[in-house]
Amino acid sequence: MSTHPRSRWRQALVLGSALSLAIAIAACGGDDDATSTGGGGGGSSDGFVIAIADEPSTLDPQAQEDGNERAVNDNVYEALLVRDSETNELEPRLATELPTQVEPTVWEFTLREGVEFTNGEPFDAEAAAYSINRIVDPDYESAQLDYYGPLQSAEAVDATTLRVTTSEPDLVLPARFARLKMVPPEASQEDSFTEEPIGTGPYTVTAWDRGQQVTLEANPDYWGEAPPESEVTIKFISEAGTRVAGLRTGEIDLATLLPPEQAADAPQVLTKEGVEFPVYRLKNYDGTLVSKEIRQALNYAVDKDAIAEDLFSGYATVADCQPSQEGTTGYNPDLEPYAYDPDKARELLEEAGYDGEPLSLLGATGRWLKDAEMHEVVIGYLEEVGVSVTPDIRPFSSYIDEFTRTVGDAQPDIGFVSASNELFDASKMDSYYASDGALSSYVNDDADALIAEAAAAESPEDREAAYQELFALGCEDPPFIFTVNLQDIYGASEGLDWTPRSDGSLYIPEMSLGS
Amino acid sequence: MILFLLRRLAIGLVVIFLVSTAVFLVTRVVTSPEKAYLPIDASVEQREAVRADLGLDKPLGEQYGVFLGDLVQGDLGDSYWQPGKSTLTLVLERLPSTLLLNSVAIVLALLIAVPLGIIAALKAGGAVDRVATTISLLGLSAPQFWLGFLLILLFGVNLQWFPTSGADRPSSIVLPALALALPTAGKIAQMMRSTMIDELGRPYMLTAESKGMGQTYRVVRHALRNCTVPVLTQSSFEYARMLAGFTVVVETVFAWPGVGSMTVNALEQQDLMLLQAIVIVIATLIVLVNVITDILYSVVDPRIEVA
Repeated sequence: MSTHPRSRWRQALVLGSALSLAIAIAACGGDDDATSTGGGGGGSSDGFVIAIADEPSTLDPQAQEDGNERAVNDNVYEALLVRDSETNELEPRLATELPTQVEPTVWEFTLREGVEFTNGEPFDAEAAAYSINRIVDPDYESAQLDYYGPLQSAEAVDATTLRVTTSEPDLVLPARFARLKMVPPEASQEDSFTEEPIGTGPYTVTAWDRGQQVTLEANPDYWGEAPPESEVTIKFISEAGTRVAGLRTGEIDLATLLPPEQAADAPQVLTKEGVEFPVYRLKNYDGTLVSKEIRQALNYAVDKDAIAEDLFSGYATVADCQPSQEGTTGYNPDLEPYAYDPDKARELLEEAGYDGEPLSLLGATGRWLKDAEMHEVVIGYLEEVGVSVTPDIRPFSSYIDEFTRTVGDAQPDIGFVSASNELFDASKMDSYYASDGALSSYVNDDADALIAEAAAAESPEDREAAYQELFALGCEDPPFIFTVNLQDIYGASEGLDWTPRSDGSLYIPEMSLGS
Repeated sequence: MILFLLRRLAIGLVVIFLVSTAVFLVTRVVTSPEKAYLPIDASVEQREAVRADLGLDKPLGEQYGVFLGDLVQGDLGDSYWQPGKSTLTLVLERLPSTLLLNSVAIVLALLIAVPLGIIAALKAGGAVDRVATTISLLGLSAPQFWLGFLLILLFGVNLQWFPTSGADRPSSIVLPALALALPTAGKIAQMMRSTMIDELGRPYMLTAESKGMGQTYRVVRHALRNCTVPVLTQSSFEYARMLAGFTVVVETVFAWPGVGSMTVNALEQQDLMLLQAIVIVIATLIVLVNVITDILYSVVDPRIEVA
């Protein structure tokens, strides 16, 4: 730029006028919000504000499998049971106690009395039976059906006694009823039900502004304790950076799904071990990985701590040699992660006679948090101990065709997947540990026997013991390279008092902004 | 005039038909929505059932016939992301927000670009020109995504003049409109500058000056009028570019509830039908923008005859 004195004056003039134009534009708009909130900052007029990543697909609580829908409806609808926010144990909510198994395939619930839906319909055994029969009806095509397994039908015995029938004995049934939301028999048959939810829960939906937000108000007739925050707005903000900006100005009190690298910018960070376990599935029945020692060596070769600390900025916990966490039925508390020990890995590879044969590694990119980066890191660790890898990293839509090939078909030696367990029951992992599992590349007669034993178990204790044994077996004779358990990262305003839940539920009555 | 309009609309229909066909082919050939809709451990039977549900199991020719038949009746299919909702309804619900944002942005862009371009042209080659040109080059090279976050940080977080996102108060539109307007303003200012320099060098300007006409009068009444057509062409093109792309980025960054942010939802949910509806509606809009521009030509320059 020229340094001539006159042109400097001109520069200043132009810059000055450009700035004043910007300020003028700013001032025009500034008038509007000056009255409503005193600028963008310093809290908002909307009461308590939560930002989630996307708009719910519907507000019918039984139709879709959609975390955005749950963020709203977990506060509007209730299930018969609920998980304790700290221990993750099942507790009664619309039931008065845990169900009893009266016959192998028949369970009975006793229901709370005097509960009403917000439109005045009573919640009783008839309504509960209706809700269950609605969701299992094949014509209704609920996307949640996977959670309900052998659940078949329900009927009301009397006003407060509900009888539930399953197609086969099912000890997971109580866990299923922590998800199954109760709907009003009359109102749920209206077309408007997908947009105007009517539940028994602590909040009601007052408005759904498309593309923007859902507003909630405390249900004045709620049977339980009134929640601390009576006016709540749930906004849909898909950019994480924008959610963080809103937290910093005070427009938002709580934001979900922050990426690890942006968490530091939030006024307060809240975390909880979530349900995602990224793992590398190993094909044990064919090729190089038939050798148990080589599969163990791969586990020794990967530095899980470094992945948790560096790749996920500390927002991950090393998995305990099993794709499940404390509080999950079947979790084995005695298992320890494989240490990071490259020497041991080399030793095992040599003993097993690994000949340098390249292993194919199938991975997805753009689907799970930092998936592509994780593949780079893991392949790096494997190559460091002398394992040769042929990566095949694809976008999800083409990855999934390859990954879902079943045992015996052309499966990759190593296949990345993020195993998740929203049911908090080990049986969700049958699909990886059973030789006929939908996502399995693991053939182990002992594992199949333990899964069968668990399915036939007559008591919850026997069943849990079988799964614990399965996970111990899977640690010693691994179906995966185990890595970490990702944490859910929430950003919050400084004053927010809340402990995130394992099940990821945004249960607003547990949150308060303090005084 | 009427005949001209009819002819333009007929060409527009052909364009929309071609776009629809392209969208049909791309969505059918490139994507497999059933993979995104179902959980990862869904069985082959479940996947087949979803394909059958969407009519994707039929031969391509048959699918195309059904698609065209529905298209003619204004039926662009139901959304998979929001079951039971017509995709056309979903798009039309969000369209006013997008049109508002983009229209405010193009007006803002013109308000910035026209004075900037004129100032630069008057002192072509001088320091003022260089500063104005630098500003406009900065504007046009800033990606909207980056610019959006910069505006959020500066005016939302640090100065706290405007809300960082959303659309729940009138001032919410300022930052997203600026993020769309600034790069566009940079381009229009460049165009304004070069056409203005051309006009200023023409003999009639010398005549006007020799008659003793003041500079402001010469520039505003004579030269500017002659610059309108190229600037209008550029603006209409920029408006179409915003609608067809930039608004997706900006609406997503600012959580603006328009068609753009819905496009990202549709992509994430692999909602093939919704994507298809968005593309067809936006294509139709762009055809309309072009027809309106043609009409405006004859309004601003009576020498252009529409026939």
